[in-house]
Amino acid sequence: MAGIRIDSVTKSYGGLAVLKAFSLDIADGEFVVLVGPSGCGKSTMLKILAGLEEASSGTISIGERDVTDLAPGDRDIAMVFQNYALYPHLTVAKNMGFGLKMRGTDPAEIERRVNDAAKILGIDHLLERRPRALSGGQRQRVALGRAIVREPQAFLMDEPLSNLDAKLRVHTRAEISALHKRLRVTTIYVTHDQTEAMTMADRIVIMKDGVIQQIASPDVMFREPANLFVAGFIGSPGMNFLKAKVETTASGTTAKLFGHDVKLPVANAATLAGKDIVVGLRPEHIAAGPGQVSFTVIPRLIESLGSEQYVYVDLPEEHRREASSGGEDESRRTSLIARLINPDPRPPEVTLTLSFDPARLHVFDAASGEAIR
Amino acid sequence: MPRLAFLDLARPSRRHWLGYLLLAPAVLLIGLIIVYPLFVSVDLSFQNVNIARLDQPRRPFTTANYERLFASEEFWYACWVTFKLVTIVSFFCFLLGLSTALLVNNRFKGQALARLLVALPWAIPEVIAVVIFAWLFDSSFGLMNWLFIRLGLVDQTINWFSSPDAAFAVVCTVMIWKGYPFVSIMMLAGLQSIPEDFYNAAKVDGARAWQRLIHITIPSLMPVIGVTLVLVMLWVFRDFSIIYVLTGGGPLKATQSLSIMTYEQAFGFFKMGYASAIGVITLIVCVIASRLMIARAPDNI
Amino acid sequence: MRRKATQHALLYAGVALTCAILVFPIYWLVVTALSEPSQLRQLPPSFWPAEPRWGVFGQIMAERPILLWLGNSALAAIGAVTISMVVSVLAGYSLSRFRVRGGQSLGLFILTAKMLPATLLVIPLFGIFRNLELIGSLWSIILAHATLIIPFTTWMLKGYFDTIPRELEQAAMVDGCSPLGALVRVILPVSAPGLAATALYGFVLSWSDYAYARTFLTNAQGNWTANLGITTMKGEYISNWSDISAASILVALPILAIYLFLERYLVGGLTAGAEK
Repeated sequence: MAGIRIDSVTKSYGGLAVLKAFSLDIADGEFVVLVGPSGCGKSTMLKILAGLEEASSGTISIGERDVTDLAPGDRDIAMVFQNYALYPHLTVAKNMGFGLKMRGTDPAEIERRVNDAAKILGIDHLLERRPRALSGGQRQRVALGRAIVREPQAFLMDEPLSNLDAKLRVHTRAEISALHKRLRVTTIYVTHDQTEAMTMADRIVIMKDGVIQQIASPDVMFREPANLFVAGFIGSPGMNFLKAKVETTASGTTAKLFGHDVKLPVANAATLAGKDIVVGLRPEHIAAGPGQVSFTVIPRLIESLGSEQYVYVDLPEEHRREASSGGEDESRRTSLIARLINPDPRPPEVTLTLSFDPARLHVFDAASGEAIR
Repeated sequence: MPRLAFLDLARPSRRHWLGYLLLAPAVLLIGLIIVYPLFVSVDLSFQNVNIARLDQPRRPFTTANYERLFASEEFWYACWVTFKLVTIVSFFCFLLGLSTALLVNNRFKGQALARLLVALPWAIPEVIAVVIFAWLFDSSFGLMNWLFIRLGLVDQTINWFSSPDAAFAVVCTVMIWKGYPFVSIMMLAGLQSIPEDFYNAAKVDGARAWQRLIHITIPSLMPVIGVTLVLVMLWVFRDFSIIYVLTGGGPLKATQSLSIMTYEQAFGFFKMGYASAIGVITLIVCVIASRLMIARAPDNI
Repeated sequence: MRRKATQHALLYAGVALTCAILVFPIYWLVVTALSEPSQLRQLPPSFWPAEPRWGVFGQIMAERPILLWLGNSALAAIGAVTISMVVSVLAGYSLSRFRVRGGQSLGLFILTAKMLPATLLVIPLFGIFRNLELIGSLWSIILAHATLIIPFTTWMLKGYFDTIPRELEQAAMVDGCSPLGALVRVILPVSAPGLAATALYGFVLSWSDYAYARTFLTNAQGNWTANLGITTMKGEYISNWSDISAASILVALPILAIYLFLERYLVGGLTAGAEK
């Protein structure tokens, strides 16, 4: 086991830069999740880490060893692929033992380790089967098993759960976390699913267009998103954004929200006067009924999950942001979502009072998208 | 086990070398047995050589072969024969291939067997196909003569291989019989790639069987039809064995296509330069045709 | 209900009739082989010999060097297929997996090479082989057949490798294989059915050749291939159709057997490279 140091790694295909100066220190035994939308460079980074692709520049070391231009097999890492990539012509046992065999491990030792790993994963009864005779979940375990038996310095996992059905995914997610607690092997896990990132990671690295947006623990990521992208990506449903302008009034530095002058929870409020900002408000921080800042709305749509309700409200024109070219969901720009826990049943299109606590607001610079604290 | 860093193709920075390394044998072999001969061929076509001996000094450059060629009636007649052959054979290959495909594409018991049988002539080597038809069209005891007389189409036996028109017809028959299975196989593959939903939707809309054929089947098949057509035409254009073994290009050069003429000039009269000139012309036709096909080919079939 | 049954009957009748007409020439080949030569000269012809002479195959093999011809054809095919497969596996894999400068042009050239007329290449190859003193040797047609086979097999194999996920060899490399090791230990075993189909397809191409054998081997009787031998029988024994037919069946049999095996791979082979 070892820490991993990634220093200013870049990758470009021709003129197209898919990874820009990626630097990250991973501690020994840490579980790091790279998350971001498709095309953000997270899988490319993982492949470079595995040695399956060449970095355009930068260095990578595992432990104290510089592995930047080392063959994948010489890096002492194991990888779990999205489609599992089990060898179809080999039995489960041979699949799991293949890497050890390539390294010239003694056959008796291979058998022992394969059996141990199979027991841990509960697949010891499948060892003589071929991959095509296994279910999706079983294949996934074999892929994990193939990584475990190697006892490598680090696990690299490339969206290992995305081919499982929803129920199995939640179950396996917990199992991988448990496995990590037990083995304490440094793990780099790539996913596009923020829920997986939030539930499994010690630290999350969130990426967009080849650039790291923020590196933080799940809690910090949720409470103190560094910019609009992170704020919108983490959490489900994502944060509501409202366009506003900073004003100086009697009660201090405020922004006009739903007709109220609302005090902004920022440190150097005075310097912001007259600035265009985006105010962020998490759906779960909106409550039904009056509160510190209340406003009435006519919901466009109410989705009920029983235990909670999603209330969709059309944003007033003055709070709508300009359409961006980033391919952002149009409805995110024009509507506000409130997530009400243990709600009373209520019909849509009937006037409703909602409220929020101004201390829960997030403030972002409208021009740069960076958080203002 | 440390590997020599420089030769270690598993290293990310070296791996793309492997791509070149893997191609090297193919490039070498193709260069030796295809590209180099092509150059020799073009080179020969600009020399007045009567026998291909590469160890002799090169003859002076001349365009005489091409001048003679374009002035030769035989060449233009061979072009005409080739054109007739390509048109007639391709047309009937499609007629037969498409109808057998549509027929066999229906659901019925024994469909697998019918598919196998319909495409069976594909598996008969061309030379053997010629043997079969040479006997069927034998002038004294051939089955076809007997059949034609019985049906009252003719009143005496035809000597198929001494009449230019009859010989041409026999050549066409053999080529159609040998060529239609290819069309049939391709069309079946095309038919099977049309989603069932298209037909269901059309049925719901009240389209009749022939309307479904015209409005769904044929348009969906168009890309496959295009590629298949070019491949069939090229096959007829290039074919040597069937004509050469069946008629040798005769009688009176009535079945002498460009391929046969090339071969006859080269190995019958040993006019290698002249023959190469014809070969180069056929090459140009083939290259243009295959480029057309590649440009129009669908992404997948 | 009634209408449906009629339709069904019509369909069966149509299929049966079509198959009968199209397959009849092959049937007639068999009938001819099994008939006494004297019976063949009777009109009206009989559509099944009264006493099929099953011994004709043994007899023809004793009278004519059919086994030698078949052996030569097999040797040439095996040689040409072996060379072509080695070259095509490597090239097909490279074209499928690596972005090599010039790779695309090479692919296009190979595709065009598929369309080359044999009558064009046969002239320069004749000159080249004469210099190398290969005329009359099986090597001449082994190399010539490779020009026919390589373009097909390279594209077929590239297409087959394209269907195998890259992650498979990536996993093998993470497990410690070299790239070539991954090809040999993982990709090739996984591709076994595709390799077999491709090789058999190449075999059919070589076995069916007449032009090259006619040109390079005519004066070397000991090296005649089956197709060449058959045509010489046709030339000299113009009347003995039953012997020629029996020999033809023996020559066609290996290809028919391959066809039965290959049928489901056929489309892939015929269209290889037709798509970009």
